[in-house]
Amino acid sequence: MEQVLSFINDYLPLAFILVCLGLTLFFIFYDRNQPRISLREIPAFRHFRREVDLAVEAGKRLHISLGRGSIFDLQGGAAFIGLTILDRCARAASNSDRPPVTTSGDGMLTVLSQDTLQSTYSSLAVEERYDPTNAHLTGLTPMAYAAGAMPTIHDEHINANFFAGHIGTEIALLTEASERSQSLSVAGTDSIHAQAVLYATADEPLLGEELYAAGAYLGSSLAHFASLRMQDILRWVLIAVILLGSVIKLLGIMP
Amino acid sequence: MKKILPTTNAVIAVVSGVLVLLGYFFSGVFESIQSVLLGWAIILAAFALLLGIFNLALVHWKKLNAKGPNSIYSLVLLVSLGITIVVAGLSGPTGGAALWIFNTFQVPVEVSLLAILAVVLVYSVARLISRKPRWYTVLFLVTVLVVLLGTVPLFFFGELPLLTSVRGWIAQVPAVAGARGLLLGVALGTVATGLRILLGVDRPYGG
Repeated sequence: MEQVLSFINDYLPLAFILVCLGLTLFFIFYDRNQPRISLREIPAFRHFRREVDLAVEAGKRLHISLGRGSIFDLQGGAAFIGLTILDRCARAASNSDRPPVTTSGDGMLTVLSQDTLQSTYSSLAVEERYDPTNAHLTGLTPMAYAAGAMPTIHDEHINANFFAGHIGTEIALLTEASERSQSLSVAGTDSIHAQAVLYATADEPLLGEELYAAGAYLGSSLAHFASLRMQDILRWVLIAVILLGSVIKLLGIMP
Repeated sequence: MKKILPTTNAVIAVVSGVLVLLGYFFSGVFESIQSVLLGWAIILAAFALLLGIFNLALVHWKKLNAKGPNSIYSLVLLVSLGITIVVAGLSGPTGGAALWIFNTFQVPVEVSLLAILAVVLVYSVARLISRKPRWYTVLFLVTVLVVLLGTVPLFFFGELPLLTSVRGWIAQVPAVAGARGLLLGVALGTVATGLRILLGVDRPYGG
């Protein structure tokens, strides 16, 4: 019995990942010939898309803050979403006089953001627009990162800021800078404490999994829609498991 | 060449990702490969940090040459960066001079920013009611007030048992439930993001 429990304990995460992979692949192929699913309204994305258009018209910039999460651990997940958003913004603003600017608090993220900008411009055949100084490292500690990113928000004629990555409660300093420079702040992070702060400080906070839906909402591929559907199904499964566990505990079946 | 390189990048990234993932579940060959790949990644991360610092210096060099109103700050940053590199290079990162720079400049500045953060949060909460006048904003503010009053003893009244118990209930029941819900959402989102990278759909490496 102990061996079985140990086996389940060891391989349950792999089984979970395989289920996620299976569902994602299923929906990618199933949805290929289906009409695209309608997504629930998230005002943050609607406002941000409008600000992207306005920034292009007004000759202003977009600022994408990727936070300071290392891609070697869980914190990197939110930063990868930031890179997807950067790709969408660079495409949308490719004909603007002022390309988007990115700040990050990790060397690897800085290189990845430069790479994202370069490959996006390359795919649009406008390589000459790429400038490595549009993606820069601002600081390596939480406060140093915030202190380095604040002048970017103030000085670079920013129209909208998208904070997407691992950022702690210091995000309040960045949203405050955004408020003072009268630019929109859309913000999502994987930190629970920072999400509470965002509710009070950001124009458009993204809570929980909303940040991870950014790719689908900002016009990405079928795979983004498929992974959203996979998340929806697994969320209901988790709710059912939690409720079942509560009932079992209430009935005293398991200690 | 332009088409081959992105595909090669994607293949390398996907294969490396799958091998590292398998290393978490299967010992032996996969674990060894995972260890080697992570070792390479750590070396690359150190070089990326150097590139990031070079990039930071370049950004501020450009700002300094642009002679904008705030270019003096870029000069301060470049001079400080140069001095710190020389001092830390000579005395070592844990040497007396490097630690003196850290404790005399870095720590006080960061603590000051923390203090400003507290003021910014109070100001933001006060502004929230005019920005989002909705019932759940009122609920948010009342909850914040109850938790604050239940955490610290009050002037003249001391500790109020009712507030303390309400605060305890809020912190242990609805707050924990909400936080777990958010964390589950974040976890599912992270898995979905990782899978998209493993499938080669998202390519944040110039693919």
